Amino acid sequence: MTEATRPFDRPIVARTRRRWTGDALRKLIAYGGLTFGGLFALVPFLWMISTSLKTKDQLFVFPPRLIPNPIALDNYVNAWEALPFGTMLLNSLFVTGLAMVGELASAALVAYGFARFRFRFRNTLFVLMLSTMMLPWIVTLIPSFLIWKQLGLVNTFDPLVVPALFAWGPMYIFLMRQFFLGVSREVEEAAIVDGANPVQVLWYVMLPLVKPVLLAIGVLSFQGNWNNFRLPLIYLYNPIERFTMPLGLQFFQATLSAAEAPRWHYMMAMSTIMAVPILVLFFLAQKQFIEGIQLGSVKG
Amino acid sequence: MVEWYASTLAHYVLVAIAIGGLMLLTYRGLLALGVRREAATGFAFTLPWVLGFLIWNLVPVITSLYLSLTDYDILQPPKWVGLANYQQLFTADGEFWPAFRITIAYALLTVPLGLLGSIAAATLLNQGVRGVGLWRTLYYLPAILPAFITALLWRLLLLPTRSGLVNSVTQPIWSQFAEKPPGWFLDKDMVLWGFVLMSFWGIFGANTVIVLAGLKNIPRDLYEAAGVDGAGTWSRFRHITLPQLSPTIFYLLVMGTIAAVQIFDQPQFVRLPAGAPQFLNVFLFNQAFAFSHMGYASAIAWVMLVVILLLTLLIFRSSSAWVYYDAEVRDK
Repeated sequence: MTEATRPFDRPIVARTRRRWTGDALRKLIAYGGLTFGGLFALVPFLWMISTSLKTKDQLFVFPPRLIPNPIALDNYVNAWEALPFGTMLLNSLFVTGLAMVGELASAALVAYGFARFRFRFRNTLFVLMLSTMMLPWIVTLIPSFLIWKQLGLVNTFDPLVVPALFAWGPMYIFLMRQFFLGVSREVEEAAIVDGANPVQVLWYVMLPLVKPVLLAIGVLSFQGNWNNFRLPLIYLYNPIERFTMPLGLQFFQATLSAAEAPRWHYMMAMSTIMAVPILVLFFLAQKQFIEGIQLGSVKG
Repeated sequence: MVEWYASTLAHYVLVAIAIGGLMLLTYRGLLALGVRREAATGFAFTLPWVLGFLIWNLVPVITSLYLSLTDYDILQPPKWVGLANYQQLFTADGEFWPAFRITIAYALLTVPLGLLGSIAAATLLNQGVRGVGLWRTLYYLPAILPAFITALLWRLLLLPTRSGLVNSVTQPIWSQFAEKPPGWFLDKDMVLWGFVLMSFWGIFGANTVIVLAGLKNIPRDLYEAAGVDGAGTWSRFRHITLPQLSPTIFYLLVMGTIAAVQIFDQPQFVRLPAGAPQFLNVFLFNQAFAFSHMGYASAIAWVMLVVILLLTLLIFRSSSAWVYYDAEVRDK
């Protein structure tokens, strides 16, 4: 075989010259491939922002243009005012905040219980907890809906936030437990000798020690709740002031911007606005984001 | 407005206090029953999840099984019909099998394609290129968008006309074969590919980051030893990288398959042409919430459960043949 068809092949005892070309070719392929992949990742993203800044008559021009001219910044204002998005933003923040606090606090308690105390059926319970990850959400959906209906709490925010208090994220429990297991017992024993009860040990000793992980999980939790579309779709229906932002966007898409006249510039403006909080969080806490998604796989 | 927040907040705080109270009560009660202090504490700590499991998992799953054997429209009490729902689903409902097929086809396409793409990208990133952090950020970017925005965005990118971005970029290719550009979400035979493409874009970056972490975990000396033995690039990839990476691949395969079969958010933002099959979850959702066929929808949900169990079991069963764990390597 020739060098060209086996670019990565590099015998250990090689002539310097050959090694040099092999290496250069390898780098070339690596950068070429990465650039291609990078464009594939980036261009749709840019297209979203570009479309959000186009005037209506620029939407369907051929050939397509990435840089809009003129730039229509007022798309953002118009899209924002097309529906009560301000109220929806508040709703989204409210729901995301409560669900996040609830799921993190309860996950920490449960994880600590699984990590540090021996009791009968502990391992059975733990395996059971992990296996709920395989349970499709749609199987429990109808009975849960009926429970909320019985309670008269359909079309309130309750179903979106109250269940979070029951440690509804098995993955978060699993991750926190892994990290509690990694903390030396001596640290806790010192606190126990000082007369701290287990809740105090968890709060004052353990949680500060695993703060970086907590931050990573918190970031994931924020993203998960902020982007949650299913629960609002099922539980919130009227008036429109009760919607969260994802539901508002879907409503806009299905009614005001239906198939005959899709207002892509408005929809992309709203999409961009909705992506901004996560984008900001991502750039502020990039390390945690990346760690967060790696945690599950490496530790699992 | 404010009342909505206040009432939810009040319920939330009440439930939180109740859970705390129950934890304390469990602890005291178990101690009174003579249980060791450590066991009582541990059990009390796990109580929130145990309660959640009972209320939001166990009871609903059993209820759902029961409902799947009934005719139930919420207004009237459930009426027992035995296996009639399943019978209708499998033999009489013209929408079920197309939904089943497209859902499975979607999972069988997106999961392996996404894995291949991310293994390729991560391998390239692992070639000692400059600015790994920057590349990684770039690749991860699509993953921060919620699935439904991805769906909306790809609907725009895949506009069925010449001016759609994808169609205009690929014009040199498709114009060889056809007069008209691909119809994507307007063409009922291409809908599946539209979803595969959008999901690939949405997931491959996140998977790349995970695979890259797996690659970085492979001990350097394995490669050095192989280098001394004169192993070429392909044989190193085949005999070191892949086996060492197999636990990561296994994880992504299990999680990816479970998620793919349950696709739901994306199709809610895509208007499908007449005659195009729906995904299972959408089909179920419409049966339940558009037609109030709660019993029938529960039967579909149980089919979904069995499908996921079977697929997961299949992957787990096969894993002993291809997943290597460190312990085994160390034993040798």
